[in-house]
Amino acid sequence: MGGVNYVSRRRAALQPEESDEESWEELVPLPPSCPLAGTAAWSWGGREAPGAMLGKGAGGSGAKPAKPSFVSYVSPEEIHKKEPIEKEVNLHLLPGELLLCEANTVLKCVQEDGSNRGACGKLICTNFKIAFLGDESASDDNEPEFKNKIIGENDITLHCIDHIYGVYDEKKKSLSGQLKKYPEKLIIYCKDLRVFHFCLRYTKEEEVKRIVSGIVHHSQTPKLLKRLFLFSYATAAPTNTDIQNQTVMFDAIKDWREELERTKGNMKYKVLNANEAYKVSEKLPLYFVVPMSLSEESILQYQGRGIPIWCWSCHNGASLLKMSAFPKEQEDNTSQMHKIFLDGIYKTINKPPYEVLKTDDLSSSLPSLQDIQAAYIRFKQLFLIDNSTDFWDTDVKWFSLLESTNWLEIVRRCLKKAIEVAEYLEGQNTNVLLVEENASDLCCVISSLVQVMMDSHYRTKFGFQSLIQKEWVMGGHCFLDRCNHLRQNDKEEAPVFLLFLDCVWQLVQQYPPAFEFTETYLTVLSDSLYIPIFSTFFFNSQHQKDTNMSGEGHRAQSSHFRFLTVWDWSVQFESKAQVLLNNPLYVEKPKLDKSQRKTTRFKHQRQLSLPLTQTKSSPKRGFFREETDHFIKNILGKRISKLINSSDELHNNFTEFYDSWHCKPADFHGLLLPHIDGPGIKVWAQRYLRWIPEAQLLGGGTVATATKILDMIEEVQSLQKKMDEKHSLTVPQGREALPMLRNSARLSSLFPFALLQRHSLKPVLPTSTWKDLEDEDDLAKRDDEFVDLSEVI
Amino acid sequence: MYYQVENVKLLDRYTNRKPANGTLYLTATHLIYVDASAEVRKETWILHHHIASVEKLPLTTSGCPLLIRCKNFRVAHLVIGHERDCHEVYTSLLKLSQPVKPEELYAFSYNPKMPKDSREIGWKLIDLKVDYQRMGIPNDFWEITDANKDYEVCNTYPPEVVVPKAANKATVLGSAKFRSRGRIPVLSYLYKENNAAICRCSQPLSGFSARCLEDEQMLQAIRQANPGSPFMYVVDTRPKLNAMANRAAGKGYENEDNYDNIHFKFIGIENIHVMRSSLQKLLEVCETKSPSMSDFLTGLENSGWLRHIKAVMDAGVFLAKAVKEEKASVLVHCSDGWDRTAQVCSLASLLLDPFYRTFKGLMVLIEKEWIVMGHKFSHRCGHLDGDLKEVSPVFTQFTECVWQLMQQFPCAFEFNERFLLEIHDHVYSCQFGNFLGSCYREREALKIFEKTHSLWPFLLQKKQEFRNPLYKGFTVYKELKPNTLPFSFQFWCGMYNRFDKGMHPKQCVLDHLLNCMSQKMKLEDNATDLENKLPFLDNPLPNEVCSLSKIVNASVESSKTPMLNTPQDYESEPPALLTNGAIVEEVDIMPDQDQKNKENFANHHDLLDLNSTMEVIESDAKKEKPQHQ
Repeated sequence: MGGVNYVSRRRAALQPEESDEESWEELVPLPPSCPLAGTAAWSWGGREAPGAMLGKGAGGSGAKPAKPSFVSYVSPEEIHKKEPIEKEVNLHLLPGELLLCEANTVLKCVQEDGSNRGACGKLICTNFKIAFLGDESASDDNEPEFKNKIIGENDITLHCIDHIYGVYDEKKKSLSGQLKKYPEKLIIYCKDLRVFHFCLRYTKEEEVKRIVSGIVHHSQTPKLLKRLFLFSYATAAPTNTDIQNQTVMFDAIKDWREELERTKGNMKYKVLNANEAYKVSEKLPLYFVVPMSLSEESILQYQGRGIPIWCWSCHNGASLLKMSAFPKEQEDNTSQMHKIFLDGIYKTINKPPYEVLKTDDLSSSLPSLQDIQAAYIRFKQLFLIDNSTDFWDTDVKWFSLLESTNWLEIVRRCLKKAIEVAEYLEGQNTNVLLVEENASDLCCVISSLVQVMMDSHYRTKFGFQSLIQKEWVMGGHCFLDRCNHLRQNDKEEAPVFLLFLDCVWQLVQQYPPAFEFTETYLTVLSDSLYIPIFSTFFFNSQHQKDTNMSGEGHRAQSSHFRFLTVWDWSVQFESKAQVLLNNPLYVEKPKLDKSQRKTTRFKHQRQLSLPLTQTKSSPKRGFFREETDHFIKNILGKRISKLINSSDELHNNFTEFYDSWHCKPADFHGLLLPHIDGPGIKVWAQRYLRWIPEAQLLGGGTVATATKILDMIEEVQSLQKKMDEKHSLTVPQGREALPMLRNSARLSSLFPFALLQRHSLKPVLPTSTWKDLEDEDDLAKRDDEFVDLSEVI
Repeated sequence: MYYQVENVKLLDRYTNRKPANGTLYLTATHLIYVDASAEVRKETWILHHHIASVEKLPLTTSGCPLLIRCKNFRVAHLVIGHERDCHEVYTSLLKLSQPVKPEELYAFSYNPKMPKDSREIGWKLIDLKVDYQRMGIPNDFWEITDANKDYEVCNTYPPEVVVPKAANKATVLGSAKFRSRGRIPVLSYLYKENNAAICRCSQPLSGFSARCLEDEQMLQAIRQANPGSPFMYVVDTRPKLNAMANRAAGKGYENEDNYDNIHFKFIGIENIHVMRSSLQKLLEVCETKSPSMSDFLTGLENSGWLRHIKAVMDAGVFLAKAVKEEKASVLVHCSDGWDRTAQVCSLASLLLDPFYRTFKGLMVLIEKEWIVMGHKFSHRCGHLDGDLKEVSPVFTQFTECVWQLMQQFPCAFEFNERFLLEIHDHVYSCQFGNFLGSCYREREALKIFEKTHSLWPFLLQKKQEFRNPLYKGFTVYKELKPNTLPFSFQFWCGMYNRFDKGMHPKQCVLDHLLNCMSQKMKLEDNATDLENKLPFLDNPLPNEVCSLSKIVNASVESSKTPMLNTPQDYESEPPALLTNGAIVEEVDIMPDQDQKNKENFANHHDLLDLNSTMEVIESDAKKEKPQHQ
């Protein structure tokens, strides 16, 4: 067959460097037994136009085996130049992205009505994404305003695919592994909760086979780490060297020192560089912070297990620590040794100046990872909807369905735990030590939640990003395993980070003015988990990243090899779209000089003195600024340690703390405690409902509020300008206008995520009536319909 | 004259703090609790008419507990030291909260010391004729008739109703005989753009086979009043089974075969008894102390409350769609056409017409669809001691539907949540005459127009506090198309947990924005003020102006743009401004705000520095004045 055989080309390109692994095979899915194996499979032969041309192009570059990368890079312009005829197919490939297979005349069905209405186009699969290239995608007239530059409306990254189903004779079947029969319809459920329906009825059989097995293979089979698109991209992409980013990455010792200084933790804690070259543990970051009194040898003894590691210090000196527990040992001897070791550690850190220490074993006090995963699977099912009929069916029992998933309860328990910890730190001046097997799952959730609640720095965008760097990325959260990016082990999968984001969202929706970022920011961040061009969420630990980077680095014999960080939002969004990530209502923490503060503080303190804490300083003012008085008092005044194990007392302290905080007016730059009563916890509608056209509300929703507020801001600005002009001042530069929110009375409530050109066809009849009509004949069976003549009349 | 009990504790349902200790007063109209332990005198006032039930709980060590549940969903848990006191309070409250005769209602004794004529003007504030005029009535098809002037057609309708011109007196009277309680089809709302109308009536006395020619003519007249549509809808808002059961009693629903070109539909809104028990279940959920997620969600679902709200909303949406999109007129009824019909018709009007989303509009709507058309407020709200089975939260549901719409369309309403709550409070308070009695005729008999005050002018006075700062104006939204999927309906904490302060957002964004609004207004005034002064400034004192503008420059500098994301704090104003005196007043911009909110403002510097900047500017403006006057 004509064209370049893909397999052999790949083989040629890969063999020189990958010969030590047999892994190249995993890119080539078809064993000889498969009917597709052979020359036809994976070749561009027989296909006219772009495929063939691309094949030639790719073949051209593939012919240079000396190229260090294992994939070749075809620039999109190249394709375009060579193929001006197929202009409607607007295939845009990223650097390092490679077209693997494609199918023509695929119908993308619009979900509603169960009809086959939809767009006809081409379905392609690359080593990065699955994309549908519809005819209309060529016209750029109605480009969505909030556009992701990497992932288009019809793009699904391979890591974003949750499940693939095939429809055979109206029956839905999960697709995986080898397929004997090819479906007439492909349903793809995405991790960002989009659902795609691709009808293959009009596609050539051969193409169906190719695309279906290609998609199933590339998205569902286990991968090796090195096979991540991340590496192809990083190798091929031009490096932009000047990344200006204020986010603290915590990969340098100075970052930790500054953090210690900022939180005034530097009097009791020290940064260690003992883990340089990962001598202590591969789980730990290069630098970490421990209590000063801890000896170096104890740290080395058990690879960092049993060592309290500093997370954060409260303004009153109380600190949040975490510790990876020893695994449960069968052998008495070992566990005895562990116990002695731990006792020693506790003794060291229970001594002054560290005062009281409260340990909290998160693995026993919070749901397990399995519970979290199970709850999330049930929860997301509510929003992954095949067609609108299903959706209307949830009508009657929405709340009990929601309840049965248990997801909101897990969110609530995490928030509650975080409040408990905050109470110990703030209310009782007690250090808290979070303990967990690896200190990298629920530890991350709780410790970062506590910090968001207690430290307003972490409610700014850069602060929040730094926090995620500190607690999650450097803290060794196993993103790779928890997101199951490599599809190696389903059992390790658990949406821990998403749980954290959901908890933060609860705070954001309860206290919008307290956060510099919006819920859209959180939603976009959650989507970024599945975009494999950023290294942030694609490693299990810093060690893993470093080893893989250096390995590749020297082979690539250049320093060009560089991963992108997700915090560089300009990679994904134009600056006008980035505006939507910032909260217009947020006010930065006021910076005051001392003299003015005194008077104001006096005014506030009256209202804010909590009855339960005499030493508590006003949380109104700068957490770590000029709090030294209190700080030193706390260190010097040794408090008599009291036992705080009685759960009864715990409960009382907790509710008293919670209640008394809620009785006071909130300070958006101080401590923030979420409402955790039933009505307080809500469904993160933007993330979960955004793709459901039925959920759309034209001209309504929070977007309407946002636009109105922006209008008001503008009005005030223009008035101020007027005032300034009256004072013959120079015209101040106005804030960047938000063109996309203008003229927006009819903006969809799903903005910025609503898809264009979607018209929901809601039944004209209200649902209840609809139901009535359906069940007309079993009227008699309606037992809820208690009819008492005297009452009905 | 009042009765006083010392040493009474008021327990807070949501917080574990030490209960307040204080004094309880019983006056003729209110129960007043004064908290003695607080530094600031804190008073809790409960109107006797608001009390739904009083319950004596078993004796405890600290005293004799008394649980008072109110119709506005306040729950007061008192502990009275002595049992005898408790019993006396209990019996007096029982008596005071359930007046037997209408004359005992608060409205007849309420005296705001207002001149007689302004009271009378107050009653004329809402004129329904103006609203009909707005719809273009009278016109070729519709007329206002006084056919009911002696209540001979229907004694629960007002003297004047709007009927099709084509329906003559005989048709009207004939139709009245065929409609339950004579509640004939009358116009509720006319959608001017396409002549489609919403009409309302009660169920027909059709039984299994009865017909009435005049009634058929009546419906035909309504259909023909909308020449654009070949058919009309007849909507029975009851569940089908209920309607069928009514046939056995000689009532029922229209037979499609007997009427020309009608499309008949059932919309299953449950009856008042189902609604009452649903609310009861909902309130039980609200009263659970710190409910878990599961308690709350299952409780909410089992109460079915939001499902009923959704049913009402669905029906409203159906009507609005029929009128707007299918251009068809709709005739709505339930059993008597004063509960579900009132809910559904008023909701549809609200969806179709932006006027009803303004202050005045909502008042007109309530007056038109509820008060005048004979919703039995007195029975449904239990104003007087009577049949408890007649009590049902029908109006509460309507209020909630409006609120749900406000949640979905935060910029489409001129008023805010507090306006709804205030109206809801007064429906039960009997402080004003509007909601007394159950129909127009009864109100006339009670002489409420002579003896009591109207609520509406009172509300308009407090307009500032009820304003929705996000309102985008009259023209931006026309028809509303709400989402009626189950997740779009939220639990209304502000209503059912209104008095549990711990459950609410700490710093209400609403307050922020209201504050900003009034600041903005002042700024505008200032700007024009300055503009007017400018000519004077230019000429006489050029040097001074120059130096002054430098000072101003310096202070404005700090408050320059960007407005919202700069570190700002109004406490950082130059201290000299504080001595200005005027500033103190400035902060206090919301005269009618209740004390709580005021406190919130005062110690909340986070009121976006919007204020701060503006205050700085403002005070600059102030400084300028004395210099040149």
